Amino acid sequence: MTVIARRLAGHLARGLVMILVVATISFFIVNNIPGDPMAARYEKLIEGGMSPEAAAQAVKVLYGFQPTGSLWQQYTDYMGGLLHLDLGVSVSRPGTPVLDVLGEAAKWTVLPVLVGTLLSFLVGVILGVFAAIRRTSKLGDALAISGSLLHGIPQYVLAMLLVVIFATLIPILPADGPVDILFEPGFNAGYIGSLAEHAVLPVVTYALSAYGGWVLAMKSSVVTVLGDDFILAAELRGMKRSIVFRYIARNAILPLFTILALSLGLLLGGAVFIEKIFNYPGLGLMLINGVNDRDYALMSGAFLLITGAVIVANIVADLFYSTIDPRVRSGEEAA
Amino acid sequence: MSATVIPETSGGISTASAMRRNFWRGVWRVMRRKPSRLAGAVILAGFVVMAVFGPMFYPDNLPGDANAITRPPSWEHWFGTDPQGRDVLALVITGSRYVLLSAAVTALITVVFGTGLGLFSGFKRGRWDTVLMRVTDMKLTIPGLPLLLVLATVWKFGNPLQMGLVLGLLGWGGVARAVRAQTLSLRERGFIEAARGLGLSTGHIIGKELLPSMAPYIAMNMLIAVTGAVYAQVGLFFLGVLPYESNNWGVMLNLAVFQAGAMITPYALGYLLAPLLAILLLTLGIVLVVDAMDEIFNPRLREE
Amino acid sequence: MAQPETAPPQTAPAPVPAPVTPAPGVRIDGLTVVYKTTAGELPAVRDVSLTLEPGTITGIVGESGSGKSTLALSLLNAVQPPGRIATGSVEIDGLGDVVGLAGERLRKARGAHIGYVFQAAQNSLNPLKTVGKQLLDLGRSHGVDDLRGLVREAKELLGRMGLDGARVLDSHQHELSGGMRQRVGIMLALVLNAHLVVLDEPTTALDMITQANILKIVREVHAERGLTTLVITHDIGVVAEVADRLAVMYGGRLVEQGPTREVLGAPRHPYTRGLIQAIPRLVGDIDEARALPGRPPTLATVPKQGCVFRERCALRMDICETDDPAALADGPRIVACHAVGVKERA
Repeated sequence: MTVIARRLAGHLARGLVMILVVATISFFIVNNIPGDPMAARYEKLIEGGMSPEAAAQAVKVLYGFQPTGSLWQQYTDYMGGLLHLDLGVSVSRPGTPVLDVLGEAAKWTVLPVLVGTLLSFLVGVILGVFAAIRRTSKLGDALAISGSLLHGIPQYVLAMLLVVIFATLIPILPADGPVDILFEPGFNAGYIGSLAEHAVLPVVTYALSAYGGWVLAMKSSVVTVLGDDFILAAELRGMKRSIVFRYIARNAILPLFTILALSLGLLLGGAVFIEKIFNYPGLGLMLINGVNDRDYALMSGAFLLITGAVIVANIVADLFYSTIDPRVRSGEEAA
Repeated sequence: MSATVIPETSGGISTASAMRRNFWRGVWRVMRRKPSRLAGAVILAGFVVMAVFGPMFYPDNLPGDANAITRPPSWEHWFGTDPQGRDVLALVITGSRYVLLSAAVTALITVVFGTGLGLFSGFKRGRWDTVLMRVTDMKLTIPGLPLLLVLATVWKFGNPLQMGLVLGLLGWGGVARAVRAQTLSLRERGFIEAARGLGLSTGHIIGKELLPSMAPYIAMNMLIAVTGAVYAQVGLFFLGVLPYESNNWGVMLNLAVFQAGAMITPYALGYLLAPLLAILLLTLGIVLVVDAMDEIFNPRLREE
Repeated sequence: MAQPETAPPQTAPAPVPAPVTPAPGVRIDGLTVVYKTTAGELPAVRDVSLTLEPGTITGIVGESGSGKSTLALSLLNAVQPPGRIATGSVEIDGLGDVVGLAGERLRKARGAHIGYVFQAAQNSLNPLKTVGKQLLDLGRSHGVDDLRGLVREAKELLGRMGLDGARVLDSHQHELSGGMRQRVGIMLALVLNAHLVVLDEPTTALDMITQANILKIVREVHAERGLTTLVITHDIGVVAEVADRLAVMYGGRLVEQGPTREVLGAPRHPYTRGLIQAIPRLVGDIDEARALPGRPPTLATVPKQGCVFRERCALRMDICETDDPAALADGPRIVACHAVGVKERA
C-alpha cells in the first residue's frame, strides 16, 4: 500500500506542476493577445464614466487579474483566483461565472464520450483478439485493415461523412444540437427520446473513431502475449483451452486499461470537433466559442479544465494499473 | 561442476550492417507480397507531386464564374464549384501546397528534435534522461488540440511554415520516446559497448551504426506525427478559429459546412467531399506505408 | 479406503492406485520434424531414433539450433507451427504413439503423464496469478476432484526441494528467484503424478550453486518417485552429473549415443571428441583445450545430403559428401559416422 501511496504522491505533485505550467501558458496568452483586450476594455469603462478603481475591479472580475500593476502582480492575482476555483466571468454570457458555464457544458461532453468510448473498447477488444488469433487468415487481415483505416481517419472527417449519409442523403437521424427544443426538459418520454436520438450520431462517431485504435492495440498485445513462454508452458502442462484463453486475455488486456483511462481524459479535449459538427454545447464547443468570441476567461477556463481532466485520467490510469498488476503492486517497476 | 558450455550464437557489431543490407531486401519482399502497400507509396508520391507542381497550373487568384455558383459535380467541374463559382478540384490542388508544406516542416522538426533528444537521452541516461523524459511526458499530457485553439488567438498561422513550426514543436514527443527506447534497447544488447570496445568514436557509433538501424523507427514515428499534424491543421481551419487568409483544405471544409451548408443541401456535396476525399486518400497512403514499415520492422507481426 | 471384510482374501492390503505406474519407457523411431520456411520445409530433426529405458535419466547434448528442443517438444507432440512432425513415431508406455494423439486426449496426456520443465530464465508462469492459483487451474484442467490434496502434495514437493511451500504458493512469479522458479516448474511437472519428465535446459541462467542444487534435486526426485527423465542441455557438465545415458545431437541428427561414462571416456564420433576436447581442465595446460573449428549449421545451412558434420570434420572422406552415415549399434553404443564404421570394420 505504501508503494501506491508513494506513487499517488508523486502523481499529485507532477499534476500540480502541470496545472501550474498550463495556467501560466494561458495567463501569458491572455496577457499577450494583440490589441490588449484588457487595456481596451479598461479604457472603455473609464470613458464610459467609471472611476479607475471600479474599472480595474470590473476588468479583474472578467479576466481574473488587474489590468494595471506589474506582470508579477497580475500573475499572482490570476493564480490566487485559480486557487479559489475562480475562473472569472464569461463575457459572452454576461454575469455568468465561467465555472458555472463549464459545469453545465461538462455533462454534454462526459456522457457521450463515456458511452462511445466504452462501446468501442468492448467491441474493439473482442475483435482485436480475433484479429490476433486469425492473423494469417483473410478475416484477420480485414479486421486489421479496418482498424488501421478507422484509426487513421480523422474524427471530423468521420463525423461529416456520418452526417452526410445519415442526416442528409438518408435523413433518419438528427445532427443538430443535443435535443429537440419542442420538448419540455424534464423526465418525460419525449424529451428523453429526443435526447437519445440526438446522441446516436455523436456517440457512434466517438465509438467508430476510437474502435480502430482498440483493435490494433489489442491485436498487437495479444500477439505479444501469444509469444510469451508462459502460454506455451500452460499448454504443455495440459491446461484447458478456456483457462489458457483467460491467461492470454487477462495479460493482453492489462496495458489497454491504462490507455482506456488516458483516452477518456484525452477525449474530453478531442470532443472539440464532434461538438462543433453536431452543435453539442459541451466543453469543446465552449472552448471554440471562447476563442471565437474572444471570451478569454471562458477559453482559459475550458483549457484548464480539459487539461485537468487529462491529468486526473493519468493518475487514475496509473493507480488502476498498479492495483491490477501484481508486479507494480509489490513495488517492482514494470519494465 | 565445469563451466563447459558450448558457445551460444554470439551477436556482434556486424549485425548493424547486416540489418541494413537485409532491410532493402525486406522492403522489397513485403511490397511484393502485398501490392496494396506499393500503392501507399505511390499515393504519397502523387500528393507530393501535386503539392509541388499542381499550383503552377493555376493563377494565384482562381477565377470565379458568377453564373456557376455552388454547382454539383459536372464534366466541366469534376467536384462542382464553390459559392464563388470557383472550381473545387482546382481549390483542392492549390490548397494541397499549404497542407503538405507545413507537413514537411513538421516532419523536419519532429525528426531533428525527436531524434536529437531521444539519442541524447538514451545515450547519456541518468539525470538528463530523467529530466528530458519528464518534460516529454508533460508535453504529451497537455492536450494538443485545445492548446492549438488557445494559441490560435495569438498566432494567425497564415504562413504554412509557421504552422509547420508550431505543429512540429508540439509533436516531437513520440519520435523522441521511440528513439530513446531504441537506443536503450541497442545498449542493452551490448551494442554500444561493443562498438566502444572496437575503439569507435561516439560520432561514428551514432552516425554509422545507431542511426541507420533506427531510421525505420524514426520514419514510422515521423509519419504518425505528420498524420496527426495534417489532421490538426486542417481541423483548426475547419473549426473556423483562424482567418481564411490562405487557401487550404481546412478552409474549404469550413466554408462548405458552415457557409455553403453542404451537410444540409446536397448541392454543395462536391465542395465538401473533395477535401474529405483528399484527406482520406492521404490517410490511406500513410496507413499503407506505415503498415508496410510495421511489418518490415516488427518480425513478431510478420505473417508466415 | 478401508474395506477389509468384503474384499477378496487373496489380494490382501494391495495399494489402491490400480496399476502401480512404473516408470514408462519411450521409443522414438525415425522421427523427422520439419519447419516451413520461405525456402520450403526444412528438417530441424531428421530420422532420429532413441530409446529411453524405464527409470533412467537420458541427457541430450547439442548446440543451439541442433534440434534438441524440437526433439523434446516432440515427446509431447507439441512442436510449434510453422513446424510439424513429418514422419516417425514416439511410443510411450501407457499412452501409445503420441504423434497420433490429438485434442483432449493429447491435452490430458500433457501434464498428467508427461511433465515438461521449462528453462528457469523463461517465464513459464502467468505473471498475474499466484503459483497456488495456477496450481488450482492445473488441477481443474485435469479433473482433479481433491484440490486440497493437490495443494498438500504441491507443498510436500516444494518442501522436499527445500522451499517453504505455503509461501511459494502464495507468491507471484516476479517474487521468486531463478532457482525457486525452477523448483516450482519441477513441482508443476510432477504434482499430477507424471512419471515421464522432460527438463529443457534445467540449469541455464542459474548461478553455480543453484545449478548444483537443482541437479541434486533432479537426481533425488528421479530416484524417489521412479521416473523416466530426459534432460536437454548444451552443457556437457550437466549430463555428466546426472545422466545414465547420453545422446549427442548435431544439425538435427543424433550422431552418437551410449552410456554416459563410456561416451565421455571414449568418444567415437569426431563431433563428440571435439566437444570433449574443447573442455578446459582444472588441472593441466589450458592450451590443451581446443575449440572446435567452424560454426554449427542452422536450419538453412544444414547440408541436404551427406553427413551433417563433414564441414567441420577432421576425418572427412569422399563418402561423407554423398551418403548420410547410418546409426550403427555396437553393444549399448550407437554412432553415426563413416569414419568410425571404417575403423571398426578394419
